[in-house]
Amino acid sequence: MALIQNTKCECGHQNPAGTVLCEACGKPLDEELAASDSVLEMRYDGMARRSQKPKPNLIDRVWNFFSSVKVAVWLIIITLIAAALGTVFPQESAFVNLTDPAAYYRETYGTAGAVYYALGLTRTFESWWFITLLVMIGASLVICSLDRVLPLYRALTRQQVRKHLQFITRQQVVYVGPIEGDPEAWTAKFAEVLRRRRFKVRTDGTALLAEKNRFSRWGPYVLHIGLIVFLLAVLTRGIPGWYMDEYVGLDDGELEQIPRTNYFVKSLGFSVELYSDEEMPEHLKGELRPKQFTTRAVLYECVAWCDDVTRQPELREVAAHDIQVNSPLSYKGLRLYQYDFAEQPRLISVRPTLIDKRTGRSYGPFELPMRHPPLTYSVGPFTLELRDSFPEFSLDENGEPVTLSREPNAPAFVFVIKGPGLPEDGVPYLYFPREVDRQRFGQDRINGEAAELFDIRVESMEDVEFSTYTSYLNVRVDRGMPYVWTGAAISMIGLLMGIYWNHRRIWLRIDDGVLSLGAHTNKNTYGLRAEVAAALAKAGIVVDAKSLDNRRKES
Amino acid sequence: MRRHKSVQYLILAVMLLVGGYAVGRSFASSGDVLRPGDKPPSFRLADLKGEAHTLEEYAGNPLILNFWGTFCPPCREEMPALQQQYEAWKDRGLQVVGINLSEDRHRVENFIRRIGVGFPILLDTDRRTERAFGLREYPTTYFIDANGVIRQIVSGPLTIEEIDERVKSLLDGV
Repeated sequence: MALIQNTKCECGHQNPAGTVLCEACGKPLDEELAASDSVLEMRYDGMARRSQKPKPNLIDRVWNFFSSVKVAVWLIIITLIAAALGTVFPQESAFVNLTDPAAYYRETYGTAGAVYYALGLTRTFESWWFITLLVMIGASLVICSLDRVLPLYRALTRQQVRKHLQFITRQQVVYVGPIEGDPEAWTAKFAEVLRRRRFKVRTDGTALLAEKNRFSRWGPYVLHIGLIVFLLAVLTRGIPGWYMDEYVGLDDGELEQIPRTNYFVKSLGFSVELYSDEEMPEHLKGELRPKQFTTRAVLYECVAWCDDVTRQPELREVAAHDIQVNSPLSYKGLRLYQYDFAEQPRLISVRPTLIDKRTGRSYGPFELPMRHPPLTYSVGPFTLELRDSFPEFSLDENGEPVTLSREPNAPAFVFVIKGPGLPEDGVPYLYFPREVDRQRFGQDRINGEAAELFDIRVESMEDVEFSTYTSYLNVRVDRGMPYVWTGAAISMIGLLMGIYWNHRRIWLRIDDGVLSLGAHTNKNTYGLRAEVAAALAKAGIVVDAKSLDNRRKES
Repeated sequence: MRRHKSVQYLILAVMLLVGGYAVGRSFASSGDVLRPGDKPPSFRLADLKGEAHTLEEYAGNPLILNFWGTFCPPCREEMPALQQQYEAWKDRGLQVVGINLSEDRHRVENFIRRIGVGFPILLDTDRRTERAFGLREYPTTYFIDANGVIRQIVSGPLTIEEIDERVKSLLDGV
């Protein structure tokens, strides 16, 4: 027993339930609709969009929910409001180093900030509910389109030439009038007129169907496909290795690993060029403004011992570039951009000389890096063993040496000097590379007798390597971008298809010397009126375009 | 669509999968900061002798993971307390591991020797592990049960009593 009721039209065609205009001849099926004389609603050419099920199950309900345009519009509005809220205060992801977000928002923006943080709006675009909204929009895109494009395709590819008279006389643009001479000949002549206007014409004796730019109807669906590709491309950011947005801070000469990769980057030197006073406008003269800043960077790839924590990784140079703003170092999709810099003078290494005060002779210089110093040094006949080091030397409340931080801001080294004329256990010697620390902590006083035996000092500024600036680089990987562009391009094509061209159709039939002509378009009915008037004029019927417009006749 | 029920199911199923993946990812990325109930991220670090150790080695018994550095006074102060607790409870299966915050080995060795620390010390390099754990303060101590789940996270120095009561609850939970 069929649950679906079909409707048989007077022309003999069996229509599925929900059909508004007969699929074959176009006659309005509903009694009320057939009785009135309003302009026909031509959506999907009157085909049934969805089957009318008496009892929709869960799947059907979900499907119907997502195929509703009203729902889609609401989803877009809600997403718009949420996205707007996400721009009120800077998001957490905008900060390089935010240690306590709750405190930051509370302190910087007061109560509003605290509320903003509590609601999770500081991470709007990464939050689960925002992503859910986007997923729902994506579902709606797919299901709305599918639900409509299939009936539309069926409607447009199965068009019949000879339509019911009511169908023709209730279109947007209509002409009814007498015709002289042989109707078939007139139809054929009119077909030629239309063909010259680039219509595709099919005739059936005294009936005619002319159609132009059907492809433009697919425009919105192409647009939707493009948007779906766009969304999926953005989703690819989740694939490991496809997306990175990290920061790396480098002093001159410092080598750092790019997190979660096998790449290392080293800064050979950072330099800033300032605008000279001549280049500056009056009100800015005397100010220090950077004109250009550059990091001479080298990129290395780890080739061996990369995961072995007990050994130093073996590196191979793969790229080098002078990184400036908007001029990144680029290697296999990895890009290092110049992001920022800070003035942070730091000692990198020194090359001190060892002076044997007993003989007055000096030995060396030897290379002493502030970070990861080696444990032994061979200087002339002497050997210096590194017993302890303090990156930022200070004395605690008990007078014991400690370090205040891990950065070489006030470095100190405890050596044990062994060699000729010295006790076997060696002579301990505390060395401060910076003169200011040497004075501040009284190096000679601490060293006592050893200070009379030896001196370790840097002979000239040439033997001091320091970094004035710390350069911050932004590391970016975004392998999904080509697909995002593809999605955007498809969307654009769809937009052009749908907006720039419009789909026009003209139906006519001649019954007993009377011509009935009806025309329909999805956009720009005024243009269609003009075109029909021009075509009719070419066929010998002169009418004012305005008189063809059937829409005015509605009360 | 009336004839293509299977297509409807397929499309809804794909939506669910893709949507579930997208939403699921948003939960994963919000877990930068560890909380009790999470499992700590894996690591592989060298000890003072140069041998590598992984987090997985310590599974099966309760573990205290203490991040410390010689530059941090409260870290220095709590070391003797950790050592005392290690000696008191190691026969009951407690493991204590100190992860040093990327300092030079000789600095760490000197400090360990001076305090007399007996539990294993691992050396973090380039702040990798501290970043993976999302550390904000030093010292930070993780109390992890025998199943590898973090039960408590304490930022700041601990006294013997404070460690003691937490160890008891770790062992009780076994």
